[in-house]
Amino acid sequence: MAAAGAFVLLIVIYPLWQVLFRSFLDAGVLSLKSYQKVFSYPSYYRALLNSVWVSCATAAMCVVLGTLLAFLVTRTDLPLKKTLRTLLVLPYALPSFFAAIAWIQLLGPQGYLARLVLQVFGFATVPWSIYGAGGIVFVLTVHYFILVFITVAGALERMDASLEEAARASGAGTSQIMRQITLPLVLPAIMAGGLLAFIGALANFGIPALLGMRARFFVLTTSIYYALAIPDFGLATALSSMLVLVALLTMALQFGIQRGESRFTVISGKAVHPSELKLRSLRYPLFLLISAVVVFISILPILSMVLTALMRYWGAPLSAANLTLQNFAYVLKFETAQRAIMNSLFLGAVSATVAMFVGTVISYLHVKAKLKGSRVLDFLATIPYAVPHTVIAIAMILAWARPPVSLYGTLWIILVAYLAVYLPFAVRTTNSTLQQVHDSLEEAAKASGAKLLPRLRDIILPLARPGMIAGWILVFMPALRELTVSILLYAYHTETIGVVVYNMQDAGYREIAAALASIVMGLLILGNTIIRKLTGGIAGF
Amino acid sequence: MNRFLHKLSLTLLAVCGMLALTAAVVLAQAKTPSRVLLYTSVPQELATQFADAFMKKRPDIRVEIYRAGSTEVGAKIAAEREVGGIRADLLWLADAPVYYDLRKRGELFSYISPEAKAIPADLKDPKGLFTAGRLINMIIAVNTEVIPLKDAPKSWKDFPDAGNKAVMGNPLYSGSNFVTVAAFVQKDGWGWFERARAKGVAIVRGNSEAATALAGKEFGIAMTLDYIVAGLIKKGAPLAIVWPSDGAISVPSPIAIIKGTKNPNGSKAFVDYVLSKEGQEFLVKQEVIPVRGDVKPPAGQPSAKQIKFMPIPYEWAADNAPAIREKFEKLMLQ
Repeated sequence: MAAAGAFVLLIVIYPLWQVLFRSFLDAGVLSLKSYQKVFSYPSYYRALLNSVWVSCATAAMCVVLGTLLAFLVTRTDLPLKKTLRTLLVLPYALPSFFAAIAWIQLLGPQGYLARLVLQVFGFATVPWSIYGAGGIVFVLTVHYFILVFITVAGALERMDASLEEAARASGAGTSQIMRQITLPLVLPAIMAGGLLAFIGALANFGIPALLGMRARFFVLTTSIYYALAIPDFGLATALSSMLVLVALLTMALQFGIQRGESRFTVISGKAVHPSELKLRSLRYPLFLLISAVVVFISILPILSMVLTALMRYWGAPLSAANLTLQNFAYVLKFETAQRAIMNSLFLGAVSATVAMFVGTVISYLHVKAKLKGSRVLDFLATIPYAVPHTVIAIAMILAWARPPVSLYGTLWIILVAYLAVYLPFAVRTTNSTLQQVHDSLEEAAKASGAKLLPRLRDIILPLARPGMIAGWILVFMPALRELTVSILLYAYHTETIGVVVYNMQDAGYREIAAALASIVMGLLILGNTIIRKLTGGIAGF
Repeated sequence: MNRFLHKLSLTLLAVCGMLALTAAVVLAQAKTPSRVLLYTSVPQELATQFADAFMKKRPDIRVEIYRAGSTEVGAKIAAEREVGGIRADLLWLADAPVYYDLRKRGELFSYISPEAKAIPADLKDPKGLFTAGRLINMIIAVNTEVIPLKDAPKSWKDFPDAGNKAVMGNPLYSGSNFVTVAAFVQKDGWGWFERARAKGVAIVRGNSEAATALAGKEFGIAMTLDYIVAGLIKKGAPLAIVWPSDGAISVPSPIAIIKGTKNPNGSKAFVDYVLSKEGQEFLVKQEVIPVRGDVKPPAGQPSAKQIKFMPIPYEWAADNAPAIREKFEKLMLQ
């Protein structure tokens, strides 16, 4: 407890406090001026309202899409389930602004799909617009539904099959079992995933920045960036506090709902896989439908990115003469890019491992050991998820650039920042995983005289493993492509993939940035295949 | 599973060990006098190649580059100021107003390079606090497959008439767009923007997005920076540059030494190289318009003398920045 507390204090609270208290300062004097600004300019509170409703809409759509897909690929006899699952998770490796670019390229006014629709149906203009609130919600959903999908799929897989079987033996129909047994059982996971999607959408900058401006639609994160461009630190942090406040309220709401819902949190110790639902005549129609969804939300954006990487320049007409491998050759020869790939692989693996370890400890203290104060710890560890990455980076400079502990300019400050950014993922996913393990299992072990470590090793960890692997992936993938924190914290020789992608993109070389992102995607697929082969399908996504 | 926990604790131990090691390495590095840290928003490739050329000439100095957009560099500097001062030795940004702010705060080191003689007076600070290292110019870029060059506007005055076929970057994000807005407003008031809004000129985030959206045929003309367009033309995009008849906005990209530098001699040597004939000729090869009169501009581009420039009211812009931003937001973004 003390160790976990110290960790959260050093990695999360102390740096964020460094920023927060500056929002109450005006030229060194205590003042509420920055907060006054937030509420006196209509554009800022309008941005706050936009943020809230966009995130609500995104979370709702993510929950529906993620839960349905998770159910279909884990609990039915759909063909090629494993492949579909991998393909669904893959686009999460796209940096969010690349996701936005890919969708502009597909559905934008000059997009491939848009032009196809125009030709087929003979419209003058496409009946949708990627620029604006609708487009933002759509791309955010496609980007974040994975958070619901992974957590719910994990929960469904480690569900206790006997409950459903008992219900079936008592004569309950499939739909009744779903409603009364399965859904309540995975509800903590759905809520945890939905919360992650909500806060993710709330704190996302790349997608609203690219899709919102042309429709003059602004959200909090884009306003915070304005404040930084001025630069007005106080205003930026005051706006960030609003963001954190919204996230905390939502979390409190979720905590409130979940209280007293332990009735269904049973996982048996037996390794019995839940039964597969036979889809019968729906099997192939559903397969076709899901495949279409997978093609639309996973394959097309990735193809669009690879296509960009193969183009001589962004926007070149599709023809053999305009295709080239030069961009790939450039990236492979580019020394900084090679170094960046190594740095990011290291940072991703270490931050995912450490964050999952600490996240598990915190969740155990809260969910299982139910120690006093652990609830607060759990809460605090989730805060950074709602803080825009730029603000976290600034917090890290303020906290860790001064002696006695100066990590500034090394890889370690980036690692510390990643831990702060991704700890919430770890805490939230392990939280929902542990909630599913019923207390009685551990109590039985305790009664038989088992100490804490053996209990963890023999009961909790084996049961929680699928959820923990899913959590590890949820940290590793975004950490590999992290951009906003890295760009402020990197130094000579500690470049990350995101830094190189950003700098190429900023110079107008979108195709070179896409080539690097494609190489990373290829590495991920390769790594996943190897891990799955080696572990017999247990690890990987 | 015991092995799992064991491995985790080993990883943690390793991380702590490496932390200590790096701290030691950092301390050791700080003693090497020949290190020069450059913060810049010059495109990464250009900055890297330029620094390599310099280091070939001066192998005793190692230039370390931190490259990011103007906003990010600004945020980094602001954060560093709070915790013991700016860490960079050299600053080379595209955002001229930043230097006026730094000068006001007394954070710049005065150095009049012997090379600065060849640079026009309006491109340098009289006390040598900063000197333009390259010129970047806000111009009209045309996608000739959308709007034939002969039909494209020839002046800023005609730019808004292209309506929703025209695009510009957001001055709330980008420093060079901000000084452009300031120059327009100082010259003619807000009328140009009212017209642009009424006709439906689009606003995107920054200059590179305006240029890429133009190349992607989403627009016919764009207000953007010359070197980004030149780079896209080199790659084969059907774009062209129009130098507006009422004057391009030339944003000098100044180089300055930070007062707290631990390596003034190395920093001075780098500034000398940037301003030297050799350094400027190197930049010209990368499609950059030189600041020296005695260096020929890139082929097909006019020299600084031939271009008609619109004056930029830096002091006025710096003093009225919040009001300008607010008014722009009201007019164009709501």
